[in-house]
Amino acid sequence: MTAHPNFRVDIYQNEFLHEGAHEVNAIVTVSSDGSAVSSTMDASAAAAEVIIVDCSGSMDYPRGKMIAAKQATSVAIDELRDGVAFAVIAGTDQARLVYPQQGGLVRADARTKATAKAAVNNLKAGGGTAIGRWLALANSLFAGHRDAIRHAILLTDGRNEHERPADLAATLAACEGAFVCDCRGVGTDWEVDELRKVATALLGTVDIVADPAGLAEDFRRMTAAAMSKAVADVALRLWTPQGASIKFVKQVAPEVADLTARRVATGGQVGDYPTGSWGTESRDYHVCVEVKPAGVGDVMLAGRVSLVLGDEVLGQGLVKATWTDDMVLSTRINPEVAHYTGQAELADAIQEGLAARKTGDLDTATAKLGRAVALATKSGNTDTAALLAKVVDVDDPVTGTVRLKAKVSDVDAMTLDTRSTKTSRVRKSS
Amino acid sequence: MPSCPAGHDSISADFCDICGLAMGGVSAAAPSPTPSAVSAENCPECGEARTGRFCEGCSYDFVAGAGRTPAVTAAVAEPVDVSAPVPGPVPILGWAAVVSADRAHYDAVRLQDGPDAADIAFPAYCPERHFELTGQQIRIGRRSRSRGLEPEIDLTGPPADPGVSHLHAVLLSQPDGGWSVMDPGSTNGTTLNDDPDPIKTDIPIPVRDGDRIHVGAWTTITVRGPGSA
Repeated sequence: MTAHPNFRVDIYQNEFLHEGAHEVNAIVTVSSDGSAVSSTMDASAAAAEVIIVDCSGSMDYPRGKMIAAKQATSVAIDELRDGVAFAVIAGTDQARLVYPQQGGLVRADARTKATAKAAVNNLKAGGGTAIGRWLALANSLFAGHRDAIRHAILLTDGRNEHERPADLAATLAACEGAFVCDCRGVGTDWEVDELRKVATALLGTVDIVADPAGLAEDFRRMTAAAMSKAVADVALRLWTPQGASIKFVKQVAPEVADLTARRVATGGQVGDYPTGSWGTESRDYHVCVEVKPAGVGDVMLAGRVSLVLGDEVLGQGLVKATWTDDMVLSTRINPEVAHYTGQAELADAIQEGLAARKTGDLDTATAKLGRAVALATKSGNTDTAALLAKVVDVDDPVTGTVRLKAKVSDVDAMTLDTRSTKTSRVRKSS
Repeated sequence: MPSCPAGHDSISADFCDICGLAMGGVSAAAPSPTPSAVSAENCPECGEARTGRFCEGCSYDFVAGAGRTPAVTAAVAEPVDVSAPVPGPVPILGWAAVVSADRAHYDAVRLQDGPDAADIAFPAYCPERHFELTGQQIRIGRRSRSRGLEPEIDLTGPPADPGVSHLHAVLLSQPDGGWSVMDPGSTNGTTLNDDPDPIKTDIPIPVRDGDRIHVGAWTTITVRGPGSA
């Protein structure tokens, strides 16, 4: 294998536990610097990109949507590095290969890009929506490119109406780990939960593009981000002591994503959690482990966190536990842990609040969204606070005293829902 | 192959591969205050560890010694803070906490019908006590010599609230100058104001002037903000 980026693992925790305590919490900050790779980027970091464009009948209403989707796809094609293997899929109740018309992926160069853009330009809207079939086709295209950094963009404007939820779930299970997929919903007729499920399973992001005019820039940014990835299929490996149980492993920045259920056991006390592809970036994870309490004064390793590529360890950090009877030490609150505990609660409060609002349970909606306002304010998550202010009237942001707005546009509610998992980072005190 | 304190063989030399305990002689980096720092003394009458002037087990008077002679003259170290009841409201400059026996809280606890709730009586006499909130954290609980624990807000009494844990809750100073309350895992939980549900453990909740923190069977700690009467 060629040089991989350096991974730096920092652990933030209060390792001191009071006598008998068994829950160990730590924030694991993983930073990768792509510098080791940038010089050899073209040679080593092979990439494969599939763009999936919704061509269902509704893409023609309003008229501008299909035009914007075509433009955005063309912009994304332009953004591909030469040599990247790519394809474009048109999605309806079937999945159809737009470019190349048959076979697998094609290497990007001036000629293939131009041909692809011409094919995209001829796309017509008509038909239904079956997201699982689109992903299945993408999956088969990626099959011959296991060594590349595999990324897909999925654009849709509607619900997954033409296949059963179970079919989509089965396809997602088959695609897990096969490629990373960023999802975008255009307009307001799509289902946030549905697309979030796709993005979560495929370790990508989900966002709303309410105005079709914003699509091109969004596609350009997504493709550029995909092109900047230097290494794929990195896993977070967690060793825990015998008898310990893992309460959860969550990515908490830049977005909240629960990885607990994604564990693949690689040994009796070791499990791997998928993290997808990495460029020059930094992500935070919250690890919570329950251990058997040891005696006062004992030091225990509660978790060994490694970033691995296959069996190659790219970086490692230690989560420790020390039992003490000094209450000053054991009651000290670690600011990182407290912050991200709040951010995860913030995401839950927003999603539960909006769900309650939909079903007409206004008391619960007010309470949950009020709590969300207080959490967003306290943690300095100004982006989320601004989105919340479009859904509720805020009387007191500190206590979270709010009133539900009588009229809320679908765009505002869906934007808040989609972006509820975006977290603010702890301001590192150093 | 090195082996850990628990006797496991481990390939890693820092921590045991099996149980995670630190290998070979790594001891707690933290200075742990040992109970031996304070004179460990047991009650000659009933054997209970001494926590103050009077034995918690049988009210033996350690100062007066022999028997239970009521020591009226004792001007010696009186650990229990029984400052006289404050006549009327006094102006408070910084943050403060006022500890009182709270009939409403007592009634609420009895209503919940816990296993021991019926056996606990509301104290006939319990003067209000004021504590200034200074420093980084203020512990609320009952002192324990054996654990080297002397909470700043010591609810040992008398009268003793049997529902209060040794370390029941902690008030933490906030960067903005305010305070928050955290329950590090007390036996009976901590509630705030009129909310019947205990606060989550280990999560600091900001408190404001007038907030009532309920602990134990009848103890309420009212938070007073700066400048309030």
